[in-house]
Amino acid sequence: MDDKAEQLTELLAAHLEAGFTELVRVHAGAVHAFLYRVSGSFAEADDLGQDTFLRAYTALQGYSAARRRELRPRAWLMTIAANVWRNHVRTRKRRPVTAGLPVEETMDVWPDHSPGPEERAATTEERSRLVTALSALPEHHRIPVVLHHVIGMSYSEVAEVQGCAVGTAKAQVSRGLAGLRRLLESEPTALKEVTR
Amino acid sequence: MNESEDDAVARRLPDLASAAPEDFALRVLRRVGISADHYDSYVHLDTAAGGLFVAASPQAVTGACLDSAGLTATAFEELHRARTGRSAIPGSKPLPGLIPALRTGRARRLAIDLSGLPDEQRAVLQAVRNIPAGQLRPLSWIAREADTGTPPSASDVLHALAANPVAVLIPCHRVTHDNGAPCDAAYLPRTGEALRRAEHIDMRRVTELSRAGAVFLGSDTTYIYCHPTCAHARRITPGHRVHFRTAHDAREAGYRACKSCRPLTV
Repeated sequence: MDDKAEQLTELLAAHLEAGFTELVRVHAGAVHAFLYRVSGSFAEADDLGQDTFLRAYTALQGYSAARRRELRPRAWLMTIAANVWRNHVRTRKRRPVTAGLPVEETMDVWPDHSPGPEERAATTEERSRLVTALSALPEHHRIPVVLHHVIGMSYSEVAEVQGCAVGTAKAQVSRGLAGLRRLLESEPTALKEVTR
Repeated sequence: MNESEDDAVARRLPDLASAAPEDFALRVLRRVGISADHYDSYVHLDTAAGGLFVAASPQAVTGACLDSAGLTATAFEELHRARTGRSAIPGSKPLPGLIPALRTGRARRLAIDLSGLPDEQRAVLQAVRNIPAGQLRPLSWIAREADTGTPPSASDVLHALAANPVAVLIPCHRVTHDNGAPCDAAYLPRTGEALRRAEHIDMRRVTELSRAGAVFLGSDTTYIYCHPTCAHARRITPGHRVHFRTAHDAREAGYRACKSCRPLTV
């Protein structure tokens, strides 16, 4: 893995387009999975994932070859993804969509406020409870938990994404897990209250 | 804090890592505006011998691998990267002409990029591409057809076949040893068999003929000799069929070589 990561950064330093293509090939799945579990919506993960890579590419264009070689690609991409997600949450709060989508956009956007048939069939009762509990966690706990336990990133990578010390990242993950446990233990009715 | 309960939750969380939509990476690259020349896209297609990953640039097929040996999509991507130095991105649309080529077995006109190979191997594989669907050719025929200065040796041909980077579409399953037994240099034996069966090559007839010492078949009405699987040889009626062990024997008997299957001459 380390060897591959090194090859990737070397390629990024040598040739931006080829390196970026490889970056997308290797990490697109993880970025999408992260955004899906953080946002809880497949279509949103898709849009935000594309934004993430667009921002990554723009940033890479401004980096020197030496800086590109020093990157830790996965942690760096997840940092961008987490920022894109936080920005998205902020704008959504500032401009709450009350009347749904504009009429002209309803044709090409799939409304997915509830899990689709595929999701519903695939998830068992247990799994969907876990998903619901995860989406009920507060933002600053959900991101580290998803990064560490769903994507499988190390604590040092999580710390880099969160911009904090490794110890803090560990504490965030552990508190997040404790929160999950509390939510799962509580009655389903209580859970509904939390999740709106 | 209850540790075991925590562990149970932590253990279940990785299951939530869901796969991105098939074409997500491709859409990202298009959105960012990376030119399609910088990467290959690949599809997974069905063949008689199981699934086939086919990677292609916008112009030509650049690689293909059967998944019969348990090859996963990620492993194929890594393999393609290591061999060609290009990233293979999962795509949704196969290269135009690819599906009909696979369905009919006629892939001779399909654009295939072999530029990464040494000249001799490329020449051998080009010769293999000229074998028509449903027919077999021996190694010596490949060596003669290969467009190199000096004909390559049998072991060089076998080496090139084993290195075939575009499985199935470059039909190595149609190459036999000079005694008529299939080579299958790059395939598992069962894979080669399945591909030949799908092209209706009657291997039982081929082995019977080679056991009877018939490397070539001639017709005593036309005085022409062919490879046994040539379309012209297959319609010689039993009464007029003549067996030859070598091209020399055929010539001695006053026969000429068929102009479509071009057997060896002396």
